[in-house]
Amino acid sequence: MLVGLAWRNIWRQPHRTALSLSSIAIAGTITVFLLALQQGAYGTMKESVLKLMDGFAQLQPPGYADDPDIRKSISDSGPLIADLVSLPEVTAATPRAASYAILSNGPQSYGAAIVGIDPAREVKVSNLASTITRGRYLQPGDEDAVVIGAGLARNLKLNPGDSVTMLGSAQDGSIAADILKVTGIFSTGSPALDRQVVEMPLVHFQQDFAMNGSINLIAVSGEHLSTINAAIPSLEKIARRNDLVARDWTQLEPALHDVILLDGSFSALLYVSLVIIVVFIILNTLLMSVLERTREFGMLMAIGMKPRQIGRMVWLELLFLAGSGSAIAIAAGSAITAWAATQGIPFPGAEALFSQWNMPSTLYPQLTLLSATAGPLAILVAVAIAGFIPYARVRRLEPVTAMRSA
Amino acid sequence: MTAIVECKGITKHYRQGSIDVPALRGVDLAIEKGDFASLAGPSGSGKTTLLNIVGGLDRPTEGTISIDGQDLTALDNEELADLRLRKIGFVFQAYNLIPVLSAVENVEFTQQLMNVPAKERRERAKEMLHQVGLDGMENRRPSRLSGGQQQRVAVARALASRPSIVLADEPTANLDTKTAEDLITLMSDLNERYGVTFLMATHDDRVISRTRRHIVIADGRVASDELRPAEMAV
Ligand SMILES: Nc1ncnc2c1ncn2[C@@H]1O[C@H](COP(=O)(O)OP(=O)(O)O)[C@@H](O)[C@H]1O
Ligand SMILES: [Mg+2]
Repeated sequence: MLVGLAWRNIWRQPHRTALSLSSIAIAGTITVFLLALQQGAYGTMKESVLKLMDGFAQLQPPGYADDPDIRKSISDSGPLIADLVSLPEVTAATPRAASYAILSNGPQSYGAAIVGIDPAREVKVSNLASTITRGRYLQPGDEDAVVIGAGLARNLKLNPGDSVTMLGSAQDGSIAADILKVTGIFSTGSPALDRQVVEMPLVHFQQDFAMNGSINLIAVSGEHLSTINAAIPSLEKIARRNDLVARDWTQLEPALHDVILLDGSFSALLYVSLVIIVVFIILNTLLMSVLERTREFGMLMAIGMKPRQIGRMVWLELLFLAGSGSAIAIAAGSAITAWAATQGIPFPGAEALFSQWNMPSTLYPQLTLLSATAGPLAILVAVAIAGFIPYARVRRLEPVTAMRSA
Repeated sequence: MTAIVECKGITKHYRQGSIDVPALRGVDLAIEKGDFASLAGPSGSGKTTLLNIVGGLDRPTEGTISIDGQDLTALDNEELADLRLRKIGFVFQAYNLIPVLSAVENVEFTQQLMNVPAKERRERAKEMLHQVGLDGMENRRPSRLSGGQQQRVAVARALASRPSIVLADEPTANLDTKTAEDLITLMSDLNERYGVTFLMATHDDRVISRTRRHIVIADGRVASDELRPAEMAV
């Protein structure tokens, strides 16, 4: 009974109701779209960064992340990689070994991070190969070959085909020295990476650094970052069996993780303000309608309706408004977002900023259950809670005073 | 005779800021079953105040009031609301009806509050509308009914819950002479045919002359209380 009465009551002032509904619907639609865009941007950002080198997760010896010592190694990685690839979520796993070394070309000497990679498997995890601007990437069968970052190439005055001297410290403490041939130069857009990273074939690395066939880590990739995130427990299980640790993307790229969290909390502030504004508008409108109907409420009490029943009716009116508005917001927001997701949203002028993260300048909003519903539901919940105010106000009404009000 | 309403030593003082407004100064009154009574008196004499106290809408400052032997001063607000729902039928001067409900839904409303099954209350509501001469108007909302028709719906609603007494506060004040006559005739018929007890606050002579019991209130006290044969409708 209260339900029907409340529903009819909200249509007594169609204009006012239309206004209330549109304010909820518009605010809700904005939250759906912005949240989807944000999720899309974060997703692109994370995948762009991780696909460059890290992979979506890694298995490492304990303590390797804090102190990447070449002696913290994995000796028999073959069966381990086979185990990893057998997980349904894992599409590829690639072994790596890494050490710091001095690279020299004539009078120029620079420190660099030398990474030994398996060319055949590496390209399934890392898209560094696609950032080669001159020469070519490493191939199976390459031996004393390296690809180096554009910044480092400039500093060392190296071009494809040139030779470079490497001097480092091998796993057994002996000196690792070699003369290597530059096959390609990559330019990732990340200055840090381009100034520091050098890749060479893993087998040759293992010889130079006396690794005895061991490696330092395994990088893992999957269809999406989310699939690998979901598989972290399985990865951890395999890691534990081999006395290793599994590291997810937040541990591989803590700075990016922090940036996303910070940006997320700033935009949460925006969403919260939006919700508060909407709640304020709706509540204000409803309180006005309660005030206008005070005499009617007096009559309802006179014929035997209890103040709390009237209060509940008013609360229901608010819930109907918020519910309908949120439903419209979810529908309209999802439709607009789904359409925008097929088109992509270009950010002209943002290329330079985005390329820091190796990101394209067109973003695709990501419509998920979360982005489609979080905003509208937050409005619904906030309005529902705010409904206590008119409820409490109506409950305090005295029949005689209510009936005497103009 | 059995008294449905018994007022003893009722006083009511309103506070307006620091000023004390005495609206009732000691009312003793008993309304008997089957009474068709008018409560007359000049504006401001305390008619509405007394009616509200009798109907459990307001509480007396002093004195006791009982309906069907039940002491209203002992009831809390929820219990008073329940008493109004089950024992009292109200008809006000205006704004009696719920604007978003049709005539028949308005009449059903109090039975709905009492959880009477849908079919039963709908039948009873239709029967009540028939009694007040509103056949064919069942599905109209109040805005599409005339003032007189609205008052008839209010009477039908007041009767639908089979109350012990119907309290009407200036029920004809907003009606033209003919419509007022028709309404009072209707109430008089209901009183005679079904023994429904009415107490009507009014200063309208057309109403007063049609009632059998004339209670006059002046300055917050019962000034006179006489039984007279009601004049016939013209
Ligand atoms: N809520 C109230 N607050 C203050 N004074 C009131 C209130 N209700 C009634 N009064 C005063 O009590 C007196 C009686 O009023 P009322 O019962 O409405 O008279 P009537 O219905 O006979 O016109 C009047 O003087 C009126 O101003
Ligand atoms: Mg009055």
